[in-house]
Amino acid sequence: MPAPETFAPGLPAEIGKIDRELKKLWESGSAMTRASLMNLAVYSEEPGSLSRNTQIISKITEDHACRAILIGAKPGAKENRVEAWISAHCHVSRAGGKQICSEQLSFLLEGPSARLLPNIVFSQLDSDLPFYLWWQGDFHDPVDPQLWAWVDRVIYDSQAWSDFGTQMQRVETAQAEAKHRIVLCDLNWTRLVQFRLALAQFFDCPTSHHRLNEIEHVEIDFATGCRSTALLLAGWFAAQLEWTLEESSTADALGFRDQAKKLVRVSVKEKEGETISRCAVKCGSIEYRVVHSANADLLDVTTEGSEAKRRCLMPAGSNDAEGLMSEELMRGGPHRVYLRAMNCVRRLL
Amino acid sequence: MSKTSDTQQTNPLREGLANRAVPQACTVVIFGATGDLTMRKLIPALYNIAADGELPPAVTVVGFARRPKTDEQFRKEQEEATRKFSRQTVRDEIWNGFANSVFYHQSEFHDTAGYKSLVERLDKIDKERGTGGNRLFYLAVAPDQFEPILKNLKDAGLNKAPEGSWARVIVEKPFGTDLASARELNRIVRQAFSESQTYRIDHFLGKETAQNILVLRFANAIFEPIWNGRYVDHIQITAAETLGVEGRAGYYEGAGALRDMVQNHLLQLLCLVAMEPPTDLGPDSIRDEKVKIVKSLRRMSHDEIARNVVRGQYAAGAINGKEVPAYRSEEKVKPDSKTETFVALKVRVDDWRLADVPIYIRVGKRLPKSGTEISVHFKKAPAVLFNRESVSLDQNVLVIRIQPDEGISLRDFIRQGEPGSV
Repeated sequence: MPAPETFAPGLPAEIGKIDRELKKLWESGSAMTRASLMNLAVYSEEPGSLSRNTQIISKITEDHACRAILIGAKPGAKENRVEAWISAHCHVSRAGGKQICSEQLSFLLEGPSARLLPNIVFSQLDSDLPFYLWWQGDFHDPVDPQLWAWVDRVIYDSQAWSDFGTQMQRVETAQAEAKHRIVLCDLNWTRLVQFRLALAQFFDCPTSHHRLNEIEHVEIDFATGCRSTALLLAGWFAAQLEWTLEESSTADALGFRDQAKKLVRVSVKEKEGETISRCAVKCGSIEYRVVHSANADLLDVTTEGSEAKRRCLMPAGSNDAEGLMSEELMRGGPHRVYLRAMNCVRRLL
Repeated sequence: MSKTSDTQQTNPLREGLANRAVPQACTVVIFGATGDLTMRKLIPALYNIAADGELPPAVTVVGFARRPKTDEQFRKEQEEATRKFSRQTVRDEIWNGFANSVFYHQSEFHDTAGYKSLVERLDKIDKERGTGGNRLFYLAVAPDQFEPILKNLKDAGLNKAPEGSWARVIVEKPFGTDLASARELNRIVRQAFSESQTYRIDHFLGKETAQNILVLRFANAIFEPIWNGRYVDHIQITAAETLGVEGRAGYYEGAGALRDMVQNHLLQLLCLVAMEPPTDLGPDSIRDEKVKIVKSLRRMSHDEIARNVVRGQYAAGAINGKEVPAYRSEEKVKPDSKTETFVALKVRVDDWRLADVPIYIRVGKRLPKSGTEISVHFKKAPAVLFNRESVSLDQNVLVIRIQPDEGISLRDFIRQGEPGSV
């Protein structure tokens, strides 16, 4: 097969001839069906990122057919270097038979050539499909306005940012300058989906709705380097339950005033284990608890206290890049809850 | 069991999270708990919802059946069946948690005492498991059992829910064998439960693509203008399966393909394809539009039935290289059975949209390939340029595949090879 499923970036191609090479690739594979629902550009300055991201794209394209544009950049390099590869990721469809393939274009940009990023990306976009930009690592100052002018959704992981405040400011400035709706997608927020589902279900029953107003204390345990994830979780409670952050709050001990001006404490504690290993919500004599034991793929979900003890297991979700991206790409919409949650705890992030 | 919109509106933590209906805590009482439907479908389905993390821990299942057995025995039987029939592999830790919410209640369906003790048991479950008085009665039994069950539920007061909770009943197909028996069943159900408490299940409507038919038609501006007799040549609705009667002859002999598939599943699909846009997406609005289609179905005279309906039975043959018996040679099938295992109909909907569009419905067992799909065949392009008689083109066809490989495809034509060839 001319388009091997490989973790190498693929067949070398001259940048000016990529279209022609892609055409040859598809013409030679009669049993393949090319599919694409979006342009997904992945930018990274990490050494070896092209190989790593190729693996990730291979996995993602099982469920999300796309035109993947991988960019490995090294703007600080002295030598000017531009290289390109083309490849395809093919997966047998669930019904069997046909292979559904996504194409991948990979670029290595070193030295001054890194400035060609917007130019290269633009020339390779499938113009009738939405453009998702997954930016790995910190954004530069200023964020390239030319690139952002085409982006529909920008995906980042704020957990990996060196300075949340500075980075978010850059993102928001670029978003404002782009003058069209760019949806901000934070994988650090996506990481919380299963925990949020587990916590939300405690309050689904109409007879437990009043408990939301009785929350006195929330405890969140997080792994080293994951404080921002824990704070986003605290921000989610605050945003959805209309709590206001107290001036005296610190990143370990947060205080909120609920709608009745009652104090709600949120304790955030570093503890070895999963990104978020435990969240306990205390409402009077009742404790709602979600525990993610180390390496477990299930969350232990318990209600304890004056009500009968109830326990169930729920999926913990995936915390690797493939899993988080697949989860994120399944979701549409503007992520309003994320923006509200983030803004509730912004000064602590 | 589920009330998504209510839940989402009142639980602010659900905002932006729910992809599908969030079940409320309740007790599901399954009548016919030792039957095939429970073992193959209901319990495995509930387990799968639990494994996906979408079943509240308070949801409780009470199996109601005649045979004496303990909770533990019932759980064990269900576990074995679920391991066999579940869509996803059963994980011990999830099953064990789920099994703790499964109980068994032994009683004859006509035994009043059994319902009195059921009341006590459900009250106890409400207190211990936080089900909030919500009860869902699932009648996974033959229709001749509906009357004693519903009457006893009513006499025991289980058809009414305490303030702030609900009581509902689910009835499965076959819902009668003709108009008179269906009306009689409706009368029986209504004596115990109001229409708003009654849920008649058609599992075809739960298929993702079936749910997408209205979205495809009414959310995409390109289809609606051509979805009428001016552009549509004909529509085909097909439900084919390679399986035979598979040990269900007892039921199937009295039903046949027409009652088993056409009057329920395929008519529902026909309604979704033919209906006008509803005023909103509420169940009543959609149902009202569907009813208009059913009312618009052209009635056939005896002569027209002879011309437009074909019934058949499968003979001995081979499926996937394996020899299979004729229908009349299947276990529990009469050797002179007249029950149809295949039926094809040409029907018409007498409304403005599709008045001149024939709709072909066909369904059958032991056909060469399994698949359920709707295909909308558009009229051919004019017989000029690329559509000359010598190279007559096919029609453009929009195919909506319901199962097994859900999806939508559109067949169109492009140029290939020599100038003028397509």
